[in-house]
Amino acid sequence: MQVQQPVRHWSDIAWFLFFAAVLGLTCGVAMGGVALLLAAPAYGAESASEPGLLLRAQGSEACLSAPLVSTDVVFQVSGPIARARVIQTFQNPRADWYEGVYVFPLPENAAVDRLRLRVGERLVEGEIRERAAARQVYAEASRSGRRAALLDQERPNIFTTSVANIGPGETIVVELEYQQTLRFDGNRFSLRFPMVVGPRYNPAGPLRVSDSDRIAPPVLRPGSEAGRPNPVSIRVELEAGFALAGLQSPYHRIDVQSPSASRRIVALADGPVPANRDFELTWSPAAGEAPQAAWFVEEKQGRHYGLLMVLPPAPGKGVRLPREVIYVLDTSGSMAGASIRQAREALSLALSRLTPQDRFNVIEFNSYAQALFTEPRTADTEAVRRAMRWVEGLEARGGTEMAAALKLALRGDEASAHVRQVIFLTDGAVGNEEELFKLIQARLGDARLFTVGIGSAPNSHFMTKAAQLGRGTFTYIGRVEEVKSKMSELFAKLETPVLHSLELKWPDAARAESWPARIPDLYAGEPLVVAAALAKLEGEVVLSGERDGERWQARVPLTPGSIGSGVGSLWAREKVASLMDRLREGGQEEEIKAEVIQLASAHRLVTKYTSFVAVDKTPARPATDALKSAAVPTLLPEGWEYDKVFGELPRGATDSRFQLLTGLLALLLGAALLYVRRRR
Amino acid sequence: MSGGVANRVWLALLALLLAAGAWQAGRGAWIQAKAFFAQVLIAKAWSRTLRGETQVRPWPWADTWPVARLSVPRLGIDRYILEGADGSAMAFGPGHARGTAGPGTAGNSVIGGHRDTHLAFLREVKAGDVIVIERPDGVRLTYRAGRPEVMDRREVWVMEQAGPTRLTLVTCYPFDALRAGGPLRYVLLAFLS
Repeated sequence: MQVQQPVRHWSDIAWFLFFAAVLGLTCGVAMGGVALLLAAPAYGAESASEPGLLLRAQGSEACLSAPLVSTDVVFQVSGPIARARVIQTFQNPRADWYEGVYVFPLPENAAVDRLRLRVGERLVEGEIRERAAARQVYAEASRSGRRAALLDQERPNIFTTSVANIGPGETIVVELEYQQTLRFDGNRFSLRFPMVVGPRYNPAGPLRVSDSDRIAPPVLRPGSEAGRPNPVSIRVELEAGFALAGLQSPYHRIDVQSPSASRRIVALADGPVPANRDFELTWSPAAGEAPQAAWFVEEKQGRHYGLLMVLPPAPGKGVRLPREVIYVLDTSGSMAGASIRQAREALSLALSRLTPQDRFNVIEFNSYAQALFTEPRTADTEAVRRAMRWVEGLEARGGTEMAAALKLALRGDEASAHVRQVIFLTDGAVGNEEELFKLIQARLGDARLFTVGIGSAPNSHFMTKAAQLGRGTFTYIGRVEEVKSKMSELFAKLETPVLHSLELKWPDAARAESWPARIPDLYAGEPLVVAAALAKLEGEVVLSGERDGERWQARVPLTPGSIGSGVGSLWAREKVASLMDRLREGGQEEEIKAEVIQLASAHRLVTKYTSFVAVDKTPARPATDALKSAAVPTLLPEGWEYDKVFGELPRGATDSRFQLLTGLLALLLGAALLYVRRRR
Repeated sequence: MSGGVANRVWLALLALLLAAGAWQAGRGAWIQAKAFFAQVLIAKAWSRTLRGETQVRPWPWADTWPVARLSVPRLGIDRYILEGADGSAMAFGPGHARGTAGPGTAGNSVIGGHRDTHLAFLREVKAGDVIVIERPDGVRLTYRAGRPEVMDRREVWVMEQAGPTRLTLVTCYPFDALRAGGPLRYVLLAFLS
């Protein structure tokens, strides 16, 4: 006992010292940790309040002082034709004279045939000129202080309005009008109005697109758009031509008035909306009301312009051929957020649809493309499950190297026993469309390419043209709730036989020139749409095609038909598109350019080679005042993630210290508790 | 009796606390150990690269390979740079951002790394310090460090390729923050001399 006493004593002292040291250390470290943890958010706050809210490359100063733009759109819909008047109001809040440059989207098949500049009460009508000549006229007016407006086409669905000499505090209005054929598919008409050009990815390297700066308006960083929502108001006056059964706007709340069974007046329910996503309006005929054929005619300068729309009978359920399906998923930064969720959902639905007689593969691409399997595999349960797991784990970030993915998917090899279908899920946020189209054309072989446009602002030019060249079809998914219905429609198209070898025979006397020259295959629910210029209206046009080995034929008499104002513009627009297709196929640029310019001048159309310019007569800006120029910033499309689109600097930190610290703290606390217990 | 139950609960909680502490500390230590020992393995892969092999994976399942060797003579620093400035490569070494010029080639070569492992030395680098890059072909180039800057992670313009040949070394800031994921970056440019 007595021997033990001092030992006990010593161990007590040791324990006490240890305990004191531990307690001191714990408190010190904990306080230090708390201080550091509290310090971290403070750093964050500091950086958020830094100036330069916009992309540095764009020049933040210029962006924030750019004129404000608001847009009013009025649609007049008559059957399958829509005429839109887009009123862009440029308001200069500054005390300097400004030029405003606004990059905005329109539907990919819009025939822009009118531009007016409104200054106060004065209206100046725009003229069509060759692009370079129009720019010169505009620049001259701009220099001499006169107000002027210029409208250029950058892509079939991207346009630029430039307005010069907007005085301090002044408002200038630019009105443009366009004509458009509406899409009819799956017993539903749809009118789509895009509002924002999402940031586009332009690959670097030798194939770099030269005009990337023309299609890249500065983008407001979320949170900094206060006071600059680029508001858009929309009104649609709809005369469907048949009794309506349903009318929907999937992305915006609308107010609808119904003056008659076939008429509707639609307006946005909550007033102007921010220009950050496509507006869509769809309507369907009441049962038995859908016309099987429609023929609209406009007489212009001694020629008859006709628009023909024929809906072939629905296909029967054909024999289900074994398919080889290649799913391609865009996992680039622009897909981050809502888009990738929609795409993943759509893809897993598509995967679940495969049967063991099919073969499949999945390709994902961002800065690189990679395939799940090296070769397409039989779609047995195991493979499909593996694919689903893989897709579930994919994240969206990085660039959009679409060419690499297309090369993996389209190998241009010979047909096998399987029908090869490529399902391409993307938002199409690229600027090198032409390069991709050429690639599709060169490597398609016997495959068919189907595009699925994902997200709130898909690139409609890419979706429709890629599908056309890929001899497939396109669909849009703008919300996760739509995935099921839209994908079911796509499956119906993939799994039922197409109507192919379509031909039109016009009466000789009509001397018809109809576009498109080569009529695409028709999938379930799709109508044939052709625009024609005719010398005479007589006889009938004979349509024929083949489906599942059976001939199909229809005749439509060429009567004066319904009056379709603006059909001439539609015809010219369709012809321009066909000419541009020919250019891609290797046509002579000089020849095609001349033909487009001639056509565009006759029909007053904005094209790649022709622009509208309007110049006010009287000089407004005193020669002593300087003119500043600014690009109108746009919003980030809804659901997109800024950081994922514009990237960020590499992250360079681990949690190792935090883990070591908290781990050691826990260990020390445990040891301390153990000591306390032993003492008791 | 009830004392016995309380005792057992007490013991169980204690064991849990100790286990959690060991787990957490172990994870932290594992990150540091990986960062340290990987560089040793990569050294071997680098010597094979210098002998003419390309894309030498330091271990069979690696999805990255050394692309350059960076040293700062004044600080006695030596690091093997891996391909890819993403988390999976940067666990083992500083990563070269894909799409930017390769280290030691014309343009802007962006290299990212963790501030608490491989690039912790950046805070010690002073303007004018010599940074040496050894390329896969054995050529050694000398760069001179400029002044470091702290910027927001969204300032991606520093990754632009135009301009003089340079290294852009990026790590997180502040160096002493406990947690990862802050918005600030510490950026050091070094120009070919």
